Amino acid sequence: MNVGLFIPCYIDQFYPQVGIATLELLEKMGCNVGYPLKQTCCGQPMANSGCEQDSIAAYQHFVKNFSSYDYIVTPSGSCAYHVKKHYNIIEQTLEVKNVRERTFEFVHFLTDILKVKEIPGSFPHQVGLHQSCHGQRGLKLSNASEITPVKDGEALRLLRTIKDIRITELDRNDECCGFGGTFCVTEEAVSSRMGTDRVADHIKNKTEVLTGGDMSCLMHLDGIIKRQKLPIKVMHIAEILNGNSITK
Amino acid sequence: MMNVRDRILSQIKVNKPSSLALNEIPVFMGDDSLTNFKKNLESISGQPIEVNSTNEVESIVNQLFPSAKKIASSIIPGTVSIDTSSDLVSLEQVEVAVLRGEFGVAENGAIWLPESNMINRSLPFIAQYLVLVLKKNDMVMNMHKAYERCRPGNYGSFIAGPSKTADIEQSLVIGAHGARSLTVILD
Amino acid sequence: MSVNHASSANTFNRDFDRTTWHDESLWFVRQKRDKAVFSVSEFQQLREVASNIKEHTLSSLDHYLIEFEQNALSNGVHVHWAANAQEHNQIILDILKQNKATRIVKSKSMLTEECHLNPFLKENGFDVVDTDLGERIIQFRNEPPSHIVMPAIHLKKEDVGKTFHEHLGTPANEKDPQRLTEAARQHLREKFVAAEVAITGVNFAIAETGSVVVCTNEGNADLGVTFAKVHIACMGIEKIIPKWQHLGVFTRVLARSATGQPITTYTSHFTKPRDGNEMHIVILDNGRTQQLGREDFRNSLKCIRCAACMNTCPVFRRSGGHSYGFTVPGPIGSILSPNLDLKKYSALPFASTLCGSCSDVCPVKIDIHVQLYKWRQIISKENALPISKRWSMKLLSTVLSRHGLYNLAGKIARFTLRWMPHSITHNTLLNSWAKSRELPHPPKESFGTWYQKNKLK
Repeated sequence: MNVGLFIPCYIDQFYPQVGIATLELLEKMGCNVGYPLKQTCCGQPMANSGCEQDSIAAYQHFVKNFSSYDYIVTPSGSCAYHVKKHYNIIEQTLEVKNVRERTFEFVHFLTDILKVKEIPGSFPHQVGLHQSCHGQRGLKLSNASEITPVKDGEALRLLRTIKDIRITELDRNDECCGFGGTFCVTEEAVSSRMGTDRVADHIKNKTEVLTGGDMSCLMHLDGIIKRQKLPIKVMHIAEILNGNSITK
Repeated sequence: MMNVRDRILSQIKVNKPSSLALNEIPVFMGDDSLTNFKKNLESISGQPIEVNSTNEVESIVNQLFPSAKKIASSIIPGTVSIDTSSDLVSLEQVEVAVLRGEFGVAENGAIWLPESNMINRSLPFIAQYLVLVLKKNDMVMNMHKAYERCRPGNYGSFIAGPSKTADIEQSLVIGAHGARSLTVILD
Repeated sequence: MSVNHASSANTFNRDFDRTTWHDESLWFVRQKRDKAVFSVSEFQQLREVASNIKEHTLSSLDHYLIEFEQNALSNGVHVHWAANAQEHNQIILDILKQNKATRIVKSKSMLTEECHLNPFLKENGFDVVDTDLGERIIQFRNEPPSHIVMPAIHLKKEDVGKTFHEHLGTPANEKDPQRLTEAARQHLREKFVAAEVAITGVNFAIAETGSVVVCTNEGNADLGVTFAKVHIACMGIEKIIPKWQHLGVFTRVLARSATGQPITTYTSHFTKPRDGNEMHIVILDNGRTQQLGREDFRNSLKCIRCAACMNTCPVFRRSGGHSYGFTVPGPIGSILSPNLDLKKYSALPFASTLCGSCSDVCPVKIDIHVQLYKWRQIISKENALPISKRWSMKLLSTVLSRHGLYNLAGKIARFTLRWMPHSITHNTLLNSWAKSRELPHPPKESFGTWYQKNKLK
């Protein structure tokens, strides 16, 4: 199975270890992973800012880079959602349709395509799972608290199979962290406050390691954790699933 | 020249989407038991009291409101007479209104009160305390059944508990402007 | 002047504890909503049904409005049509004048807020008493509502105590909600029995019967209407539902979504006036037919004004209703307002993280966050974006579609973050990210570089 690895811009530039973990785990699962060197970004930052038209070039660029793969996998629910949902404004050629259908968020790909049921190894920490909205509500990767009181989702199920792991029960299971793309700077006050509250929920409920499927949300939360010097370590879920231990 | 009405209607005609089918409402079932009604009534601060016969209503009302001097009722002999043409002063002074509810809704504790059961339109709202007398077996399971059973008439209201508000800091206060309490006597 | 949500929100957030309190008050309502909704096993199906009824109605709205009008007329009700707020207000003024009314009560109606009816009538010498407790509080304070179901949710009991002390003579420092409510009760019951004209909003208007339904918890609509000789009910064209039977669906979802009650305390059906009395219905357009013509946005007209999207919105809870500068604040208001004035309200569709909680909570399944996204596209196309944002997006676009440029930009960013002093990279004037967040610690090399070194050897 040929898998094209899409590494979102901020992961590429700031969190290479997340890309490495994703790549390693996919290879361990037997995928033949390729990384198109000319890839840039899915175009979401511009589109969410209202400049969808300006992002068309990025969309075309994305399709050109990835159309030859069986699947396109990315450690970002938000980017996967954007490709699937918003690449509807360019001409729907066979290539475009294929790319939209075959782009997967990383955990979703593990559970739905590779049929991964459990993760070996031990992670003896209390882990708080941040439900990123685009993965949860956009890609329906986990239950939304507005729809059902049952907390369930693919990432949660996989994490639970890891030995010695403890999962945090949050007061607000799936409230948005406040990142929101350019929202995090244009609405700085609300964005920071939302992040602060999200982190406080994790602190209150004893999270040691904060994880999730979207590094953008985690980057924002980590920024707050570091500024407030709080005892929480942030790791992308790919790192935990790949068996990485906590780095200093 | 088109008047406002016709202009609005013609703009709608131009702007509306193509016709969309209206689906049948599925049949939704529920628990129409007296127990369920009582539970839900209590959850909205109403007080259910079961009696064996309508004859007991008067003594219950007297027990509940021993000092009430102005009781208006279509069921028991009241102490004030209210009719459709009563003036606002006499209405304003009513302490207890005892009226017949048409039927209860088990899923939410609401009671249908059509104008014909109100004596006067204002009475159920202006009375300090409201007592509704309801037949124990007059329950429907949910609002779908409720609207099958009631008709618009001139005026009618589903009453679900006493008047309440939470407009000050989300604190629930019973007795906003209307009835300070709702007692439901099930006969 | 344009609404600047970010700036108002910034001011709101300066009081950390009060923001916490506001957030928690509304989250409490959201939790009550969850409890009420999850106790109905078919709730998700009800949303679907409610949505279908509303969508169907919109697709035949002219037909249903005509049916409604005919039935209302045959019930002896006067029906008026208003194209805009000004016409709406004039119709009401005329009715008041014809009846030589001086004592007017009004139950909660967001439509009359939208039309700024109270100030208009005041200018014309008519004082209206708002009878919903929350509305009365803000009327005393001369403030707009900050929420469509709980208009005074932004106020603390101490604030209300102070207001009532000034206007109703309650003891100074009285802040007990029970006693404050009792004071309002005494004050307002005098107004009810003396009222000559009662104005109400409309929750649902039934085409089949010509009835209007008004839902309250306090009983203030019924108290007003049943004492006054004249009842004026004000509604937008989108309040229509086809059949009496459809009320079964909407009364099951409205209060559960709004406050977590299984039904409002009073669900009142006004069909015919009392003998000798008058009932008027004013049907308002005010931009609604235009919204109906916008394919991407027309289903915002399904809204039943439950405010669940406000209570769930993490931005609303932390910025307050007033920060939206529109009668209907929060997510739903942010997709309604640009229809009326794109420039003035161009900031509102951006006052969201697009988290989508609003769409999931909506009892009539309006895809609110999708419409927020779509308004953003229109706002940028119409050049209603601030110039700085426009240029930065153009630049970003160029960078992201050309790999070479992208790589260089990334290198510069990483280099800057690594080697520039913290005081410069985290200067808050330059960088609003860093006001309360650290920037990520830049790695030595990007993933792309690592990959080339380690995987393409």
